[in-house]
Amino acid sequence: MAANNVQAMNAAGHPSLHRSRRRVKDRVLAGLIYLCAAVTVCVLVGLIAYILIQGVPYISWDFLSTSYSARDKSLQGILPMIINTLYIVVITLLIVTPVGLSAAIYLTQYAKQGRLVKAIRFTTEVLSGVPSIIFGLFGYTVFCVMLGMGVSILAGCLTMSICILPTIIRTTEESLLAVPDSYKEGALALGAGKLRVVLGIVLPCAMPGVLTALILGMGRIVGESAALIFTSGMAYDMPKEFFGHILQSGRTLTLHLYQMASQATDPDAFHIAYATASVLLILVFLLNRLASLLSRVFDKSAKARA
Amino acid sequence: MENILEKTMNNEGKRRRALLRQRCFAIASAVIALAGAAMFFLPFVTFHLGKTAYTFTSLQVVTGFINVNGTPVTLPLLAKIAAAACPLAFLAGGVLILLKMPRLASGGFMLAALAPLVVMMTGNSISSTFLDLGVSRVEMSYHVAMAVMLVAGLVAAVLSMSTKGVDRLAEAVFLVFACMSVGAVTIITIYMIAAGTPAIAEIGLGNFLFGTEWAPSSGKYGILYMILTSVFGTLGAILIGVPIGLFTAIFLAELAPRRLAGIVRPAVELLAGIPSVIYGFFGMIIIVPAIKAVFPNTFGDSLLAMILILAIMVLPTIVNVSETALRAVPVSYKEASLALGNTHIGTIFKVLVPAAKSGILAGVILGVGRAIGETMAVIMVCGNVVQFPQLLQSVRPLTAGVVLEMSYSYGLHRQALFSIGLVLFVFIMIVNISFTLISRRGVKIDGRE
Repeated sequence: MAANNVQAMNAAGHPSLHRSRRRVKDRVLAGLIYLCAAVTVCVLVGLIAYILIQGVPYISWDFLSTSYSARDKSLQGILPMIINTLYIVVITLLIVTPVGLSAAIYLTQYAKQGRLVKAIRFTTEVLSGVPSIIFGLFGYTVFCVMLGMGVSILAGCLTMSICILPTIIRTTEESLLAVPDSYKEGALALGAGKLRVVLGIVLPCAMPGVLTALILGMGRIVGESAALIFTSGMAYDMPKEFFGHILQSGRTLTLHLYQMASQATDPDAFHIAYATASVLLILVFLLNRLASLLSRVFDKSAKARA
Repeated sequence: MENILEKTMNNEGKRRRALLRQRCFAIASAVIALAGAAMFFLPFVTFHLGKTAYTFTSLQVVTGFINVNGTPVTLPLLAKIAAAACPLAFLAGGVLILLKMPRLASGGFMLAALAPLVVMMTGNSISSTFLDLGVSRVEMSYHVAMAVMLVAGLVAAVLSMSTKGVDRLAEAVFLVFACMSVGAVTIITIYMIAAGTPAIAEIGLGNFLFGTEWAPSSGKYGILYMILTSVFGTLGAILIGVPIGLFTAIFLAELAPRRLAGIVRPAVELLAGIPSVIYGFFGMIIIVPAIKAVFPNTFGDSLLAMILILAIMVLPTIVNVSETALRAVPVSYKEASLALGNTHIGTIFKVLVPAAKSGILAGVILGVGRAIGETMAVIMVCGNVVQFPQLLQSVRPLTAGVVLEMSYSYGLHRQALFSIGLVLFVFIMIVNISFTLISRRGVKIDGRE
C-alpha cells in the first residue's frame, strides 16, 4: 500500500508540492465562501440593528396613535399612515384573492396543457418581473386618469392587485398541487362533482398554503412604495368617513418614511423617519415569521398525509 | 319493485326539471341580451364643454359629431368600434344561446360587457382633443345605459354558461380569472407604448436616446446619461452582488452545518422582504456618510452609493436562485467527482457550479431586472444630478428620472417621462424574456437525471 503510494507520487512528478498548493487554494476558496456568507448576514444584522437601535426609542403610544401634520409640530404621529396601509392591504387582498385563487384553481385542476396555459404562465412570469415604477405609471394613466378615480386609495389598491397577482397565483398553485391525488379520486369515486371536489376537498387541504400566499402578498403591499406614490398619493389626513376614505388620497407608511427621510435638514423629521422605519421593519419581520410558521405547519400536515 | 319504479320516475322528473331550467336560463339570458342591445338607443354619455352640454346615445357615438368653434369633431375610432360592437355582440350572443352554443354565447356577452369600458377608457383622449381645440373645461358623465350594458353582459354570460350546469359555469369563471394576467400584461404593454411614443415621435428617437442634455424647461430631452447610469449602476451591483451571492449560495447548499444554514437562510429571506425604502434610508444614513468620510471632497450621494445599495438588494435573489440551481444538480455528479479523488471545494467549483450554470445565470438575470427597475432606494442615495456617470459623482438613473419630475410636469415634459418609462419597460422586457428562455433551458439541462 505504502509502496504503491510512493510509486504514484514519483510518477506524478512533484506530488507533495502539487497537493499542498491545492490544499492552500481550497483553504482560500473555503475561506472566501465563509467570508461571503458572513458578509450577507452581517449586512442584514447591521441594517436591522442600526435602524432599530436608532428608531425604537422614539416609538411610543403617542407616536402610534396621533395624527400627523406637516405644519403643526405637536402632531407627529403616524396613525393616518397606519390606517391607510391597512386600507390598502385589506382592499387589495379582497380584490386579488378571488382572482389569484381562481387562476390557480384553473391552472392546477382544470387546464389541459396547451397554448393558453403556456400564455398564462409566460405572462405571469413576465408580470412578476415588471418593476413597481412601471405599475405606478400604468396605474396612474389607467385607473387615476382614464377611469376617473383620481389619485385615491382605490386606484392604489387596483395597481397593487396587479403587482402581487403573480406571487399569489404561484404560491397558491404550489399548495394546490401538493394536495394528494388520492383525496380527489376518493371524493370523485363517492360521486362528488368536480366543483364539489375542488371547493370541498382540494381547497380546504391547501388552505395553509393559500394563507401563506396572502401573507407574502401582505408583505409586498406593506413594503411597496414606487407603485403607490402616483396612485394612492401622499395625503396624510385622518379618514373622515369609513367608506368615503377609499376614494381619497392616502399616504402609506413606506411613503411617509420616504417623505420624512427626504426632509434631511429637519432633525424631527429624521426621528420620525427612524421610528417609522423601525415600525415597518417590525411589521415585515412579523409577517415573515408568520409565513414561515404557516408553511412549516403545512409541510407537517402534508408529511402526515403522505 | 314499486320502490325502483318510483325512483326511475323521480329521475325522469329530475331530468325534465333540469331541461326546463336550462331552457329558462337560455331564454332569460336572451331577453337580458336584447335589453342590453336596446341600450344602444338610450342616452349613453354627456359631454360638458364649457357651459354647453351634449348628450350622446351609443348610436350617436358611432355616427355623430360635435361642432366646436366651427370644426366638427368626431369621437376616436376605438370608441366608435366599441360602441358599435356592443349591441352586435349582444345580439350575436342572444342568437348563439338560442342555437344552444352557450360557450360562444357567453364569450359574446363578455365582449359586450367590455365594450362600454373601452369607450370609457378613450374618454381621456376625447377630452384632450377638445382641450386642444380651445375648450376650457371638459367633463364627461355617463348615464344608466352604460351600467345596464355592463351588468347585462355579465349576467347574460353567467346565465348562458349555467345552462350547461354549475360545473361548467365554475370552470368558465376560473378560466376568465386565469386569463387576467394575460390581459394585464397585454394592456400594460399597449399603454406603455401608447403613452411613450408621442413624445419620442416629437423629440426624435435619436435625440431622445442619444441626447446628452436633459433640460425640460428649455425643451431639451436627452436621456443618454440616465440610460448609462442605469446600465453602469446595474453592472456594478452585479459585479459586487454576484460573487457574494453565489458564494453564500454555495455555503448554504454545500458547506453550512444544518444549524447554521437554519440561521442564514431565514436571514436571506428576510433580506428579500425588507421594503426598498428602508434600504434607501439605510443607504442615506450609513453608506452615503461613509463614502463622504473616505473621499472628503465629494458629497457622498454618488454612483458608488447606488451600486452598493443595489448590490445588497440583488443579494437575496441571486442567493435563492443559485442555491436552488446548485441543489438541483444530481448527487451522482458530486459522488463521481469525489470518487475520482477531487476535494470537496474542487468538486464544488469544477463540477457543481458548471452543472448549475444556467440556473445561476437565470438568477443573475433576475438580479439585473431587479437592479434596473429599483426606484425608491436609488433615489435616496444617488444625488439625482443628470450627468455622465462617474463613480463618485451624483447621478440619476431612468427610474429616478420618472419619479422625481412626475408631480410637477405637464405637456411634452410629462409625455417624455412616460417615454422614459417605455425605455425602461423595453429594457425589462428584454431581461425578462431572456430570463424565461434561459430558465427553460436550465430546466431541460437539470431535468436529465
